[in-house]
Amino acid sequence: MPEDTPSGGSKPDAVSISVSQSGWAPRTVLELDHVYEALGHKRRRYLCYTLLESTQWSPTELAAKVAAYENGCLESAVTTDQRKRVSTSLAHVHVPKLADEDVIRFDGTDEMIRPGPNARQVLLALEGMEASVDSEREEHTRSEIDDDEA
Amino acid sequence: MSDDADTPGRMGLEQVTRRLYDPAGDVALVTEIVYALADARNVSPTDLTSPTLYECVDVESLEATLFDGKEGPSSRRGSGTVTFQYADYVVTVWSDGWIEVSESSTTETEAESDRS
Repeated sequence: MPEDTPSGGSKPDAVSISVSQSGWAPRTVLELDHVYEALGHKRRRYLCYTLLESTQWSPTELAAKVAAYENGCLESAVTTDQRKRVSTSLAHVHVPKLADEDVIRFDGTDEMIRPGPNARQVLLALEGMEASVDSEREEHTRSEIDDDEA
Repeated sequence: MSDDADTPGRMGLEQVTRRLYDPAGDVALVTEIVYALADARNVSPTDLTSPTLYECVDVESLEATLFDGKEGPSSRRGSGTVTFQYADYVVTVWSDGWIEVSESSTTETEAESDRS
């Protein structure tokens, strides 16, 4: 809808124009619901990250990885109870949700989890966030150096 | 399901098991609910695979409503209960953390039996 352009704001000619500069949010970015749904929980963000490492996972492997990450230990140090608890939440909420959003596919026959049609978009969003965190950290470090020099 | 099912002192519901969820603890609400259901069915939690809880209730919304999903004192903590159906069971989550699993006998069992 062309009428959507806010009064006084100039209409951007590309999606890459940032919100802060133009005050105009690109519809294509705002409507990526599956990306926001997929990344709306810490365990799902972690699951999506693991998709960057390999193309297929068994639910047991994934549960062990998530439990190790959350308990700050090596996968070999994860107890059976810890793995089972994580595995339960993955099987009953996070895996079905990511499958619903077409981010992963769960194959019932070989019980393997693989990336789905929307995986690429979610991974790109994660990488974008990582880049923004990195640049912020860099800026922060730089300002600390400036403070020291002052 | 009729509306009378929500009135206090429900008939035809028999509590099978209950389990306490600690919002400040390490174990997720979804895990506690599945463990309670597994206990009710007398199976291992990892063997309780179908249906998934995801098909029956939005656990994240339930958690946000009753427990706010955050640690520490919060004015946004809800009070009351959320009840949903999981297969032949009725699960009630209380805002104090108790999860109750009841078996729906008579009426609901009859209603479900026309599937076969």
